[in-house]
Amino acid sequence: MNVVQDLVGIVPWTFIAQIANLFIQVYLIKRFLFKPVNKIIEERRALADAKIQDADRAKEEAEAMKAEYEQNMLEAKAKASEILQTAQKTAAVQSEEILKEAAAQAAALKSKAESDIAQEKRKAVNEIKDEIGGIAVEIAGKVIEREISEEDHAKLIDEFISNVGEAS
Amino acid sequence: MELDVSGAKVFFTIPTDIPVLGDIQISETMLVSWLVMALITGLCIWLTHDLKVEKISKRQAVAEYLVEMANKFVIGNAGEKFRKLIPFVAALFVTSVVSNLISLIGLRSPTADLSTEAAWAVVVFIMITAQKIKTGGLGGYLKGFTTPIAVMTPFNILSELATPVSMACRHFGNILSGVVINGLIYGALALASSALLGLIPGAVGDLLSQIPILDVGIPAVLSVYFDWFSGFMQAFIFCMLTVMYIANAAEE
Repeated sequence: MNVVQDLVGIVPWTFIAQIANLFIQVYLIKRFLFKPVNKIIEERRALADAKIQDADRAKEEAEAMKAEYEQNMLEAKAKASEILQTAQKTAAVQSEEILKEAAAQAAALKSKAESDIAQEKRKAVNEIKDEIGGIAVEIAGKVIEREISEEDHAKLIDEFISNVGEAS
Repeated sequence: MELDVSGAKVFFTIPTDIPVLGDIQISETMLVSWLVMALITGLCIWLTHDLKVEKISKRQAVAEYLVEMANKFVIGNAGEKFRKLIPFVAALFVTSVVSNLISLIGLRSPTADLSTEAAWAVVVFIMITAQKIKTGGLGGYLKGFTTPIAVMTPFNILSELATPVSMACRHFGNILSGVVINGLIYGALALASSALLGLIPGAVGDLLSQIPILDVGIPAVLSVYFDWFSGFMQAFIFCMLTVMYIANAAEE
């Protein structure tokens, strides 16, 4: 049982067996270490790539949304300014109309007032005329102490009044 | 006391009538090689079971680190086109390291048998040659022997053959020297402890001198160099040379 091989030497069968062992070991290590680990690393890389792509897509979407929002904002601003301008124009037109109307009304009021004044004046003049007429007749009667004819009476009054009118 | 440093033990022999190759001898080398292979494969399976893409375990981190290291080693030294070489180099390295270190548990290293290194070196030599022929064609390969002048041809052939021989012998020599020196140290320390404890008079001294007390601990210090350092170093050198030779062979 104490058979030993040479300390330094090549034993053919061991040599062959070791070549075979080496290739079997290569296969085993490939099958049980490299294949699963590389697979998992590949999967992780794919996952990371997918995540990056997702992020890119989300960014693009966000940018599109931002652009749309800005567009909308611009449109809204334009619309607002348009509305404002229209309102200003309408307001100007309306104020002008109101002013015109007011002016017209004022003018109408003024002319009415003037005609009223004129009428009142005439009325006052007539009243004064009558009163003064009466007074004049009375005074005249007292002064003259005589009856004068109706015709002379009227003539006198008229004369008097016209004198008064000139004096006033 | 006799010290015997011998080759691998032969457990049993299968007689064959094949000439040249002789009888199949199932030696210690072969059995331990199979054990080494089983260990490595078991380790790989243990490392890579239940792999996950996210939230990886420490075990998986180690597996990925080892793969990355092998990738870096081969691609960093030889280039991207030698990606196929990675499992081969990794297998060579890990088999070499585990074979060298298995002597720590008292088994005989398969790498302390020249047959093992010769087998590896021949495989590497064939790969180098195949790569050379692939790169320059058969004509280019043969013509390479006549450079720089035709007279150099025998020397070129010699240097070509020296590659596998030197690779095998370098590895084998280092491991064998470790075995021999470790054997000598164990023997010497056993003698020393027997002499030391033999000084105790009477039956107690006779009994204690049978126990090689100095063999505990002291050889472990030396084994740091002869087993650990040398074991890793030789495996690394062997793989480095493999990669470098094949990468050189691929250069135009």
